[in-house]
Amino acid sequence: MARATGKILSGEPRWRTQGLFRWLTALLMIVGFVLVYFFFLIYPSLRVLQLSFTNADIAGKGVFVGLANYARLLQDPNFWNALWNTLYFILLTVVPNTLLGFIMALLVLRLRRAQKLVLAAFFLPYVLPVSVVTNLWIWLLDQNFGIINYLSQSSIAWFQDPVFAMPAVAFVTIWWTVGFNILLFMAALQNVPRELYEAAQLDGATSTQVFRYITWPMVWPVTSLVLLLQLIAQFKIFDQVYLLTGGGPFDKTMVVLLLLYRSAFQQQQGGYSSTIGVVLLVVILLTSLVQARYSGLGRRTS
Amino acid sequence: MRLIQLLAFGLMLSSLSLAQTTVTFWDFFGGGDGVRMKQIVDDFNKSQKDIVVNRTTLTWGAPFYTKIHTSVVAGETPDLITYHLSALPRGLSNKDLRPITAAELKSVGLAASDFQSNIVQEELSIAKQQAGNDQLYAIPLDTHTSVLYYNKNLLKKAGVLGSDGKPMGLDNAADFAKTLLTIKQKANVLPMSFSSAQDSATIWRMWYSLLLQQNGSLAKDGKLSLSDLDTKGKVALQAMVDWSKQGLLSRNTTYPASVALFTSGRAAFMFNGNWEVPTMVDLKKNGKLPFDYGIVSFPKLYANADTWADSHTLAIPNNTKTPMSAAKLQAVLKFVAYVEKTGGLTWAGGGHIPAYLPTQESAAYKQLEPNAEYSATSAADATHEPTVLIFGVGGPVYDAVGNDFTPALLGQVSVDQAIAKFKSTLQSLNTK
Repeated sequence: MARATGKILSGEPRWRTQGLFRWLTALLMIVGFVLVYFFFLIYPSLRVLQLSFTNADIAGKGVFVGLANYARLLQDPNFWNALWNTLYFILLTVVPNTLLGFIMALLVLRLRRAQKLVLAAFFLPYVLPVSVVTNLWIWLLDQNFGIINYLSQSSIAWFQDPVFAMPAVAFVTIWWTVGFNILLFMAALQNVPRELYEAAQLDGATSTQVFRYITWPMVWPVTSLVLLLQLIAQFKIFDQVYLLTGGGPFDKTMVVLLLLYRSAFQQQQGGYSSTIGVVLLVVILLTSLVQARYSGLGRRTS
Repeated sequence: MRLIQLLAFGLMLSSLSLAQTTVTFWDFFGGGDGVRMKQIVDDFNKSQKDIVVNRTTLTWGAPFYTKIHTSVVAGETPDLITYHLSALPRGLSNKDLRPITAAELKSVGLAASDFQSNIVQEELSIAKQQAGNDQLYAIPLDTHTSVLYYNKNLLKKAGVLGSDGKPMGLDNAADFAKTLLTIKQKANVLPMSFSSAQDSATIWRMWYSLLLQQNGSLAKDGKLSLSDLDTKGKVALQAMVDWSKQGLLSRNTTYPASVALFTSGRAAFMFNGNWEVPTMVDLKKNGKLPFDYGIVSFPKLYANADTWADSHTLAIPNNTKTPMSAAKLQAVLKFVAYVEKTGGLTWAGGGHIPAYLPTQESAAYKQLEPNAEYSATSAADATHEPTVLIFGVGGPVYDAVGNDFTPALLGQVSVDQAIAKFKSTLQSLNTK
């Protein structure tokens, strides 16, 4: 329509007003989003960056202190411990969660009966709010009355044990979120063209070869996407730790965001907690970039 | 005609509500004491027509104080709040509270001398430290402390109930452990229930009491002092770890479970705050308590009988952006006077020891059961938390105790490790 009128009324100024008109239309369509995006993401982020250079408390303005907060952060053993714990959590969740999602998607696709039912069962935990999930597992893994300890005859205080607390939190996280990965992998697996499998069969490929040379490479783009999503999500671990262990015992589950929360809302150090936030953002950005580069995400498959 | 009547009625209503002053009141009482505070507020609202108190109950502990601070900075404060004495140093250092002058108190018939003097004195010394003046920032409401609840039937079965109906063998730490062991062997129940999972507060209260009883302290001259930690601090934690290891103290038990263990008759003692008194009173009244219970002050196990305590107070947020009008202030103070004077006994029903002396010294309070079993001794033993900024209810020290001591109680780390970690945590908290 626009092009048609342009042809009839050809002439520079007309084109210009029309371009402006299109711009306005586009602007009008995104103005809601831009406003929300600006006021609830860009502006607060810039404020956090600014606060990280001050000694502000939780609600005040504070005084400019330069890089003092950053210097303190680098020397703060609590921060390094929290960063280490976060990385440990990532190690326990990102790859296992992705692999498990992949394997379970393969299994679900092979089911001939009750496939939808099984898929629903696997996906159900993902629908539950985190508080429900954590309460469920606090009960199941309770040292004295929990069914897990009852059946296994163990007396481990899962969430209170310095060794088992983090793996237990990781386990609950995987149980909670693996359903989403299964869905993504099922979609990816179903998108692999049938002809490829048929051709491979005709060529006499073994099932291992089919998996290695067809399934795995065809699904890889989704795998690397899932890995990246997982990496970002697990870096931001907070809810489960806050609800399950509170960072204890012995700071073994004290993760970066919990440290930030404590510093901001308990010790009311707005400036310092902003610094933790900024550093975490940078760490996540860098790791995501590195991962995207090595996994080939974003590059077109030829 | 009817329309005009309706309009006139509406006008009357609106003029009535105009004349009323609304007092917004925030508190953190969620349990048995919340029921009592609600009753006091309801009674007050019914007793007169000029003032309406709107009460909102928020989450107890650190979230409450963060919310107060943000409301002060934003200039959107409630008119009256409850405040812990232990949170006062931090509150004053944040400039969150408005001083209440003697003249203002007098206008509703109150005076600083009407309140338990040690609480007032402590408040004044905190004001001197943090605000550099000698004004009163919070009106004391009560003292609450840790007590021992006991099951008379089980103690009798174990042969440790005296003829006076009080437990025997609570004279020192060794005696106490022996008594608990006797109970375990003879009555075959858990000797003492105590909340130790997902709850650092109860661990802190017991450990701090045991530290205090050895003349230990965590602050000297208003500054953090760690010199007693390696000696008395270790003794206190070791005692708790030993009890825990021998099965004398409930292990890894959440707060509700620790109460349930006692009220169901499966534990002979319960270490808890006096705020569980309403639970016991109500269960007994409804015939749901399968035994006779008693309450004693936390016993003297070492050199003295000092026991952890805190006080609830009433305070006015320091709204500098929109200061409170004179009429509003008067309404707030009237309500405060009502809570202290008329609501005192109702509040005491929550197990707390009233700070308003006329109530505390009244015959009605002295005869109030079961409070009379412990209140006099407990009031004398009550020792507040250090006034160093990092202490205070639900604050970072509570978290540190949960994080550092819980694994020791579960036998996962040694007492030495736990104390060393606690020490370094306190140090790093204090430097900020």
